[in-house]
Amino acid sequence: MGSLEGIFSGVQLAFSFQGILFVFLGVMAGTLIGMMPGLGPISAIAIMIPLTYNMDPPIALVLMAGVYYGAVFGGSTSSILLNAPGISGTVATSFDGYPMAQRGEAGKALAIAAISSFVGGTISVILLMLFAPMLSSIAIVFGPPEYFALMVLGLTAISSLADGSTIKALISAVVGMMAVTIGIDTQTGTTRFTFGNPNLLEGIDFLVVALGLFALAEVCALIINRKQTTGKNDSIGSLKLSKSDFKDMSGPMGRQSFLGFILGILPGAGATIASFIGYITEKKITKKPEEFGKGAVRGVSAPETANNAATSGAFVPLLSLGIPGSGTTAVLLGALLVMDIQPGPLLMTDQPELFWGVIVSMYIGNMFLLILNLPLIPYIAKILSIPRPMLVSLVIMFSMIGVYSISFNVFDLYLLLIFGALGYIMRLLKFPPAPFILAFILGGMMEESFRQAMTMSNNDITIFFTQPIALGMLIVGFLSFIVPILQSLRQKNKNAVE
Amino acid sequence: MKKTWLLFLALFTMIVLAACGSADSSSDEEESASGSSDENWKPDQSIEIVAPSSAGGGWDTTARMAAEGFEEEGIIDQGLGVVNKEGGGGAIGWSYVAEKSGNPHHLFVGSPPLLLVPLNGQSEYGYEDFTPLANMISDYGAFAVREDASWDNLNELFDDMKDNPDDITVIGESSPGSMDHIQFVKIAKAAGVDPKSVKYVSAQDGSTMTNLLNGNADVYSSGVTETIEQVRADKIRVLGVTSEERMEGDVVEDFPTAKEQGIDETFVNWRGFFGPPDMSEAEIAYYEEKFAELNESEHWQETREKFAWNEMYMESEEYKEFLSEEKESMQELLNELNIQGE
Repeated sequence: MGSLEGIFSGVQLAFSFQGILFVFLGVMAGTLIGMMPGLGPISAIAIMIPLTYNMDPPIALVLMAGVYYGAVFGGSTSSILLNAPGISGTVATSFDGYPMAQRGEAGKALAIAAISSFVGGTISVILLMLFAPMLSSIAIVFGPPEYFALMVLGLTAISSLADGSTIKALISAVVGMMAVTIGIDTQTGTTRFTFGNPNLLEGIDFLVVALGLFALAEVCALIINRKQTTGKNDSIGSLKLSKSDFKDMSGPMGRQSFLGFILGILPGAGATIASFIGYITEKKITKKPEEFGKGAVRGVSAPETANNAATSGAFVPLLSLGIPGSGTTAVLLGALLVMDIQPGPLLMTDQPELFWGVIVSMYIGNMFLLILNLPLIPYIAKILSIPRPMLVSLVIMFSMIGVYSISFNVFDLYLLLIFGALGYIMRLLKFPPAPFILAFILGGMMEESFRQAMTMSNNDITIFFTQPIALGMLIVGFLSFIVPILQSLRQKNKNAVE
Repeated sequence: MKKTWLLFLALFTMIVLAACGSADSSSDEEESASGSSDENWKPDQSIEIVAPSSAGGGWDTTARMAAEGFEEEGIIDQGLGVVNKEGGGGAIGWSYVAEKSGNPHHLFVGSPPLLLVPLNGQSEYGYEDFTPLANMISDYGAFAVREDASWDNLNELFDDMKDNPDDITVIGESSPGSMDHIQFVKIAKAAGVDPKSVKYVSAQDGSTMTNLLNGNADVYSSGVTETIEQVRADKIRVLGVTSEERMEGDVVEDFPTAKEQGIDETFVNWRGFFGPPDMSEAEIAYYEEKFAELNESEHWQETREKFAWNEMYMESEEYKEFLSEEKESMQELLNELNIQGE
């Protein structure tokens, strides 16, 4: 039927001079903006919106999409080099990417991230081409009970993020969950823990917490423990990946391209949850979980594959249903509406050229990203050889610019400093920050979906156990939480007997 | 020694950056002394239109389109810039403009949340604290159900709701007490449904339509435009819209109003422009004239068609009266729902 013709006209659009030019400009702008600590796809797209007002809509969409996945692609850079994640989707990358860079292998870490991103991006675009029309039904399977179960599953990761004391990891997570309750409660409209301060009504932005707990805390540590870390990590290391590196990457890249894509389709889950779940599953699968958190190849590869795959996945509900699955795609949807494009179930039949054009251009865009990023790595990694005092002030400056650009509100800068201080104190007392940020990201959605489900079921809690998908995920979550505890108990018993 | 120097540098960076943020506010104060009380006021610096939301939303689009119209049609020859001040459902942007008292170069775009958010106790500033300049457009609410739902019109839905309120979940984007909730309750109440019995769920992560389609919610209360594509694809049906008369345009002309179904109630999602507190007669007159001119312009007519907005022009005085009536009816509803600020 007509769909072949549609694909053909899409290919034509994507390979036209304008199509190639703008996808190139888009991914270049996106990847450069994404590399800045604190600036992610939302800011990148928001910057682009005014430029596209008078552009031809399909070309504008090609450009915007390029900016979007370009920013996700570049987002890992600041996580790896500076421990300053610019978007929630690259937090998990910093867990192993930053230790790797600290070890003097920044070039390798960036190369792994770039290749994994490329593979994740490309495989998922192929999946998008093959299955987009069919997958739109998956996008709507998830309702509040399923989301609640998914968040619970994600939170069980805390036990695997614990680096040392499990109790401290749990405390860190609880505080993170408490922090996310600040603001207007979505289900009643009541304000919670705002102390009458209007700046807190919308709650605390993820970026403030991430940059405070990771980047600023790291900066404090760098300034105060200056003597302990000298010189060593200035080297970039070789870009070349060994055969065993590729072997390590192939598993995560293969698995996470699919898993990330599917999680990306679910509205609300997106790149962040995909990257965390990608990280956790690989940690559970691998034979050497003890390497995770200390600069494991798989630990960089898994979240980077997953978050880029999820980015393509996010286009399924956006283009085939008109449903934005994340903050970024919501901004993208707004931009499309301005351009007179109304994404919805009929977009594919009404404007096949646009629908397929964007998808094909994403394939080209991913090639560009790899070509752009790989040769740049030695130069980007040189950031680390900037003298420490300058580097430290640059990180502070970029963190502040990133936070200020969310809402142009000076209050957020004070919050950033508070979280920076909190992050440093947590570090001193050996409380891991990762569970905090995970609970902060997942906790809000977990609470909201729990309460939505309870309202829908008239406060009948069995709603979570009667839906097969929700029940399945809760069981998996319960097992992944309880099994390690049982194992460690058995280990202790054994030791006691001996 | 060196350590302290580093900390100093870090601190310095922060202070410079923090100062950048507030620099513009101090320079504005000086402007406020001049001007005012002249018979013919004219802006002597560029005009800033605040969209109290992020880029891409309804407020933002209105602000950007108006700024573009003013410039392209040559109505205002000063520069116009749109600034996004998002947060607190608008409260952050409003408090920003409220602080610009006496400087009429700062405007913002407002709509019903400007009444509802303060009534819910989430903003210290309400419309009374600002100078309504002109209302430009209106939009309406729509109540949608799945294609296979058992209700064929609003009356069937509301009758069912009276009998089994627990079985029907209404979903909307905004929090309880804000727009999507209030527009539904307002119409339902006119049809005899107890406002408090309405089971309303708020989904602010963009999953409203998903939850209607997958059966977790039964009714979706939203803006008319959000429903069009799914209606065209035969996935959902719109049982009623909140406008006074049938709307014009493809698809939407088929949406029945609540009024024609015998429910004598409407809900208008108006959108207009406001200035800071304490503007002089001359300043108000200047903007009134300019907005009237914009409203008549070809550019604005095209903009309205493009976004499916309806013309709803009101000049300052009329706007003020309209707002006070609207506020009263909202207050009444909120009281019945037991949602109250402070």
